Amino acid sequence: MIIQYFVYLFLNLGLIIALAPFFISLIKKVKAYAQGRRGPSIIQTYRNLIKLLKKEVIYSPNSSWIMQISPYINIVCMLVAVLFVPLVFIPEQQNWFGNVILFLYIFAMARFFMALAGLDAGSTFGGMGSSREMTLSSLAEPATILIFAALAFVYHTTNLFDVFRTISISPLLAFNPSLMLLAISLFIILIAESARVPVDNPETHLELTMVHEAMILEQSGRNLALMEMSSAIKQMLLMSVLINIFFPWGNTTFLSFPAIGLSLVLFIIKCVILALVIGLFESFIAKMRLFRLPNFFVIAAALAFITIILEVFVP
Amino acid sequence: MNELILLCQKILNLPAERFAENQDEEVILQIDDNEFEKIMSLLYDAEFTLACMFATENIDEKSNLTLFYIFEKSRCHNFLALKYNISADKAPSVAMTFPTASLYEREIRDGFGIEFEYSKDTRRLFLHENYPVQFHPLRKSFRNGQTVPNVTVPPDEEYKFREVHSEGIYQIPVGPVHAGIIEPGHFRFSVIGEAIYNLEIRMFWKHRGIEKLAEGKNPTQALALAEAISGDETAANSWAYCMAIERLSGLKIPPRAEHIRLIFAEMERIYALLGDMAGMPIDVAYPVGASPIFNLREEILRWNGKLSGSRFYKGSFTIGGMKNDVSTELLHELSQYLVSFSSRFHDAVQHLLAQPSVIDRFEPTGRVKKELIAPMNITGPIAQASGVPRDVRIDHPYGLYAKLIPEIKTLDGGDVLCRFKIKAGIIQHSTHLISQAIREMPGGNVCAEPKLRDGTVLSVVESCRGQNVHWVSIRHGLIERYKVRTASFCNWPAIEFAVQDEIVPDFPLINKSMNLSYAGTDL
Repeated sequence: MIIQYFVYLFLNLGLIIALAPFFISLIKKVKAYAQGRRGPSIIQTYRNLIKLLKKEVIYSPNSSWIMQISPYINIVCMLVAVLFVPLVFIPEQQNWFGNVILFLYIFAMARFFMALAGLDAGSTFGGMGSSREMTLSSLAEPATILIFAALAFVYHTTNLFDVFRTISISPLLAFNPSLMLLAISLFIILIAESARVPVDNPETHLELTMVHEAMILEQSGRNLALMEMSSAIKQMLLMSVLINIFFPWGNTTFLSFPAIGLSLVLFIIKCVILALVIGLFESFIAKMRLFRLPNFFVIAAALAFITIILEVFVP
Repeated sequence: MNELILLCQKILNLPAERFAENQDEEVILQIDDNEFEKIMSLLYDAEFTLACMFATENIDEKSNLTLFYIFEKSRCHNFLALKYNISADKAPSVAMTFPTASLYEREIRDGFGIEFEYSKDTRRLFLHENYPVQFHPLRKSFRNGQTVPNVTVPPDEEYKFREVHSEGIYQIPVGPVHAGIIEPGHFRFSVIGEAIYNLEIRMFWKHRGIEKLAEGKNPTQALALAEAISGDETAANSWAYCMAIERLSGLKIPPRAEHIRLIFAEMERIYALLGDMAGMPIDVAYPVGASPIFNLREEILRWNGKLSGSRFYKGSFTIGGMKNDVSTELLHELSQYLVSFSSRFHDAVQHLLAQPSVIDRFEPTGRVKKELIAPMNITGPIAQASGVPRDVRIDHPYGLYAKLIPEIKTLDGGDVLCRFKIKAGIIQHSTHLISQAIREMPGGNVCAEPKLRDGTVLSVVESCRGQNVHWVSIRHGLIERYKVRTASFCNWPAIEFAVQDEIVPDFPLINKSMNLSYAGTDL
């Protein structure tokens, strides 16, 4: 019995840590091709992380212990969150593990410390970034909660393990039309949470328009590597949630080598396709005006809300 | 009889003998203390624009310090230059009548130590507070050499930003060191949350002392300084400088050189404006729309290299004409290339204008009101996008522009979208001008031998950013004073007005839509 949790632990953490930087690079590559450029090498994000890990950390004299611990809190939060979302192999559910409310609060905690660290160094841009991040997340979080509430209405559970098990046992459930509305909502949240166009510009050199980058502007060396790895993990994690809810084919509940192998290959293919979609989506839209962003999140919330109504009132 | 003299005679009620024509470009009027105020207010009533203002020392035997006020009147070919000798180191300020004068007065105060009475703004401009007190480098008595900077700045010399006090207002200092690879400039925002309440721009972080360096050089040497004023205005500034010296010498340059000058200047305008137009979609995170424009810009730069040997037209102008001729085959090839350029450029612009998400950011961001254009002497695409048809090539034609008259369009919106469209229009029109110049290209020499003469001369050209003013005074064959005012110097304050009531994340876009030169401001 216990062995399946070891396998699960190894697979989830291993996959995310190994592949999260790859998808950052892949999206960059897609965007570069859309612009007619060749773009950085597909392993560039790995190189950057390794380079940063070797560099020393410099703290501003104005900063406090918040600055020192927040990168660690961020990476730990993300790694714990990884354990909540089965990627390729779905073990049996264990009480609280996989609870979606806790999952969201772990995200919120990481965000809270990142925003504090942005304020901590006392630089203008950090404060501006933190203030924007908090404003945006106060709009994005209700939408996220509505999405998972809608999911709970569909599957009658708030546990991601249960949701995934149900889908993988009867994959036809994924064709539920109200789930398609949820997929759009979740895609919007994925874009917002991973700081992408049209919400934020991940490649911007414009210090006055940034949100996420502004908060980590004062981070350096190893700490910066941890921060960047955290956001890479967050992005891949949300991608996997989207994939495993709406395109669950191939996920296995059996602890057998061929089943897990097949599931792994399918999962990577699905991730690559989603990364291509994100890259293209980002390429063909400009960044929104900051004050127009609430509309964008309202779309996500509204679609989730419609799903709830459909589930409750349409038998 | 000169139309400007007739007009001024009528407005100012002065006899014709008071006015002197100089080098066909400006009309000089010497004024004294008693009539100063009256003349200024009459000029204001007659809607003259203050195009430039500067001081000179010992311009003639009678005077110690002289102030020049260069005025422009729309639909008059000539400029009006008021010459005002001052006895002590002080003069009345005209900043309340002509707001653009405030910057010049601060500049003159730093350079010459002249105090302007009743001026509202007496802060330092190009010499920051670390320069010692009583340090006035443009004085003739000043010799270049080591200066000891202030280590501690006396409190009354400290630069004070405009302060806006109210509940919830705080300041965001940005620069002079920026995240991207750009020139230095300090931007001080007063904001409430994201909304900008006030912006103050502080420039002059890398003063090169070009005006002082030119003094005592012979005119041929100083051409290199004119080229270095601002990178993407090289052709415009070298043309203005060469034209000034040629006017002084009474030299008419060969027609083939006139044609080549026009082609180079318009090619420069095209590549500079392409850079602005690519930058705007980049700043709203839509690089897919920008990359075709970047490609076209690179192609134009390569053409520049083929035509002149320098991608930025460095070292291609010379007093009396051009350094090198351009072969007819190459020009023919260029005009063929421009046909394909023009259609590809059209497609790229149409693609961008068809993106709702891009238009949503461009419109109605960063509005420059029409009422600001004349008092602040805002020129170039910014003025045209706000509905004011100002263009030196049309208002005061020089070189070949007297024959090949450019057409300019204006738009009334004054926002980023209008500036984008205006710039696109200018580029399309420049390609027509180049093709026309190539079609009518005469043969012959490209350089005439100049015979240098002493005197003073004004020369004004239209660069990619607007009106550039050059004024040269030569005595005993050497440069006595060289004053340059590029369009950026006057256009920077336009940004301070354009960002009001906008939000901080829109500032980079507004800034890029004007794309002013830092170097061109800080000579």
